[in-house]
Amino acid sequence: MEDLGIKIIGALLTVILAFTVGMTYGGIVRKLTARVQNRRGPVIWQNFLDLLKLQSKKTNIAHGFMGHMAPVWIIISAGTVLMFIPILNGNLWFPNLTFHGDLIFLLYMMVFGSLGMALGAGQTGNPNSAIGVTRGLSQMVGFEIPFVLALVALMVQYKTTSIQDIMDIQAQTGTWMMFANPFAFLAALFASLGMFRYSPFDIVGAPAELASGPVSEFGGKYLGTMMSGGSIFAFIKLTLYVDLFMGGAGFGTGILATIMGLGILLLKTFSLYMVPVFYGWISPRYRTEQAIRYFWGWPTALGVIAVIWAIF
Amino acid sequence: MNSFFLILLILFAGAGLSFVLGKISSIISGTVAFLSIAAASALFFTQIEMGSFIEFSLGGIQLQWGLNSYGYLFGIIVLGLGTLASLYSISYMQNKERTSGFYFNFVLVIAGMTGIIFANDFISFFIFWEIMTWASYLIIIYSGKNVKKIGIKYMIFSAIGAYSMLTAIVMIKGQYDTFLISDAINAGAFNFIDNIYIPILLLIGFGVKAATMPLHVWAPGAYNNAPTSFTVIFSGAMSKMGVLGMGLVLGHMFTADRSGSLTNFFSGFSVIYLQQTIGWLGGITAVIATLYALIQDDAKKLLAYSSIAQLGYITVGLATGTKLGVMAALFLAVVHGIFKGALFMVVGAVERQAGTTDMTKISGLIRKMPFTFLTALISIIALAGIPPLGGFVGKWMLYEALITESNSYFLVIVIFFSSTAAFLYSYRFLFGLFLGQEEKETEQVKEAPITMIIPMLVLAILLVITGAFPGLIFSPIATAMEFIGFKDVTWNMSVLNNVWGNEMNLTYLGITIGVVFVSIFAFITLKGLKGTRYVGTKDISTSGEIPYENENLTFQINFFQPFVRAAAPMYKRSMNKIWNELGNGLEALFNFTRKIYTGNGQTYALFVVIFLVLMLLFKDTLFV
Repeated sequence: MEDLGIKIIGALLTVILAFTVGMTYGGIVRKLTARVQNRRGPVIWQNFLDLLKLQSKKTNIAHGFMGHMAPVWIIISAGTVLMFIPILNGNLWFPNLTFHGDLIFLLYMMVFGSLGMALGAGQTGNPNSAIGVTRGLSQMVGFEIPFVLALVALMVQYKTTSIQDIMDIQAQTGTWMMFANPFAFLAALFASLGMFRYSPFDIVGAPAELASGPVSEFGGKYLGTMMSGGSIFAFIKLTLYVDLFMGGAGFGTGILATIMGLGILLLKTFSLYMVPVFYGWISPRYRTEQAIRYFWGWPTALGVIAVIWAIF
Repeated sequence: MNSFFLILLILFAGAGLSFVLGKISSIISGTVAFLSIAAASALFFTQIEMGSFIEFSLGGIQLQWGLNSYGYLFGIIVLGLGTLASLYSISYMQNKERTSGFYFNFVLVIAGMTGIIFANDFISFFIFWEIMTWASYLIIIYSGKNVKKIGIKYMIFSAIGAYSMLTAIVMIKGQYDTFLISDAINAGAFNFIDNIYIPILLLIGFGVKAATMPLHVWAPGAYNNAPTSFTVIFSGAMSKMGVLGMGLVLGHMFTADRSGSLTNFFSGFSVIYLQQTIGWLGGITAVIATLYALIQDDAKKLLAYSSIAQLGYITVGLATGTKLGVMAALFLAVVHGIFKGALFMVVGAVERQAGTTDMTKISGLIRKMPFTFLTALISIIALAGIPPLGGFVGKWMLYEALITESNSYFLVIVIFFSSTAAFLYSYRFLFGLFLGQEEKETEQVKEAPITMIIPMLVLAILLVITGAFPGLIFSPIATAMEFIGFKDVTWNMSVLNNVWGNEMNLTYLGITIGVVFVSIFAFITLKGLKGTRYVGTKDISTSGEIPYENENLTFQINFFQPFVRAAAPMYKRSMNKIWNELGNGLEALFNFTRKIYTGNGQTYALFVVIFLVLMLLFKDTLFV
């Protein structure tokens, strides 16, 4: 029973960590973007303030059952994926369920939340929401192709489909996957540009003309919960990339080792996070079909090279 | 009386009786059809022992009917879905014309499929196959619409399939002097070393029913043209007869013992080629059908294309020839029967209640048809392969089989592209019918009657169960696979494994999802419960503007325009065009023949004269 207790505490810790880190990163990006655009910008804990405001709204508007369920779906997806991703290598405080699910499962589970949000947005009846959803889903078909190619390359190269195994291999050989199969890393990195939906791939939300796309009809507790889910997802994607390509993080179970491991994880995730953000600052927006064509061009070619590299 | 005879007798008698009683009332006729299929199913699942068979001779040919574990697996699909679909039909067909003919053919199709499952020899197999094909043809043209275009296409492709199957049967008789399927297999009829033509001809025959490219062109029209309650069977069960045959041929082909033969290397090589070819055909089928599914405006057509795509996955799984791959294919076959059956039932319910399945005409039915929506939602989640439902289990196994066992790395990408693009049409289906603006045209729509809701919900519950305990289906699949030549097929109730030793634990997944769901659902529902207000779809903020009372805010036309623009080159090719060109070519050939056989007596006389002149000219060289 003690084991189960530790697991439950570990799971809660993981959720808190993911939430805090995701929200803070979002705040930092808002601040940095503002400075780049020569604005003063909000404080970096602005996201927490926003969340507090949204959650403390007294009245909430729901457009029906699916609208009510949409944030639930996002949290289910985010929470479940979080449980199956290794946070720190070989650390007992974040044991979770890493051995009981693999990459193929994660790929599908991550879509669960988007589909839930799409359905919720659909029920509101706002045509802008539906337009945002069609753009989002179309763009997803775009970036999933290089992403999956990269993952297949990794799986084939090391004959495993488990994230934990890929982390262990990197720890043993001492070579990060981004050097062991650079093409796979590049393909996945391009895919991540679409995943984070910063400019030039921000037409899904399209803040200017679609009034924030799919979520335009959500407010109060619904928007707040979605925001939390989104933040957890940002952390999940970054951790997944770090686990797969940058050797993961973690030294052991001791308190000092845990803190150091978390420090390394934050360092790696943050520097990775800056890639789509930087790319976004210097890029104008693509139309959806241009975005899809973008992903089916060089990123896919790199992915194909990565798979061939992995076979031979 | 023997159970085999009894089951078929009940079905044929049920067909005849429902035809006669159909003159009185369509409900009585439908009830008779339902009762006969239900009785046959009850007998099938309780009275027949696995492995038992009967032999009798008919016109000097020894026939054998029996039940093996492989047939039993498909029996579950056919009779299970058949019972539910016939129950569903009663209300669906209530106010239609000429229902007696419909029920007659409906039960006849079920009887034909049951006969195929029982058949242990090629003669009865072929006879029942033709009963199934002809009865389904009559249902396709039942509505009287598009008979020339769709009916003839179906007939031509069915004929191609039937002729190649018949040729194969004759060749088997000629080479091995047997009509028994098991004898032919033991003699090596399917093993591709001694024979190339027999397996390929049989695969063409079965590939037509399984709608594998390039033999799939009949399917979208036929699925769409049949009454929806039959499309449930057509897509859910009848296409699986093609899978049954392909599995039988491919299973024995890949598991055949190839050791000790001189031609070993080359034959093994050609099997790999065949395997890859069939796999890629399945993959391309999936991609093309998915691309066409997502541009459809009609929900039923969308599902018809989606069926072809799903059958493509099954073909890919069968073509891998590995344990996990074939298991994935058979699992997908069962699950596809369940979710596609449920989805066609949803479309039928909408068609009956709202009068159309055109998604540009109706939308926002979620509040009016909540149970139908629930079924649609669960089935679509399964179709898209999203955890934790049954569809995910099948997809997971298929991917793992392709990556870990069959080295088809690029085929994986093709399949993945198709199933990611499937999210698009999945969303379109739910959004088009149930979500979006509630317009005045659909104000009067009510939920479907209970006899239609029950079969839908049963199928939806089955999808949840197969997601949590896929072992319930693995168990018959494993014995079925042992029948077609695989050895030591292992499975677990709720844990999936691949050959690299990675696992997917569905129990932990279920618990995690359950815990998160309960806590977050309670949170979002209870928090500020009193302050939460439910509003209609007209009460929205369109970027701060207030919409007018009668402003049309429905977004349905050109739904995935950006995607279609991006994928434009892929829409250029069409198998239909290629077949049409072939048809035109043949017509040109016939026109040329027409120039010789003009039908004019004078021309024929001229030919005789020319022939005689030539004879005289060359008489020295010809008659020495």
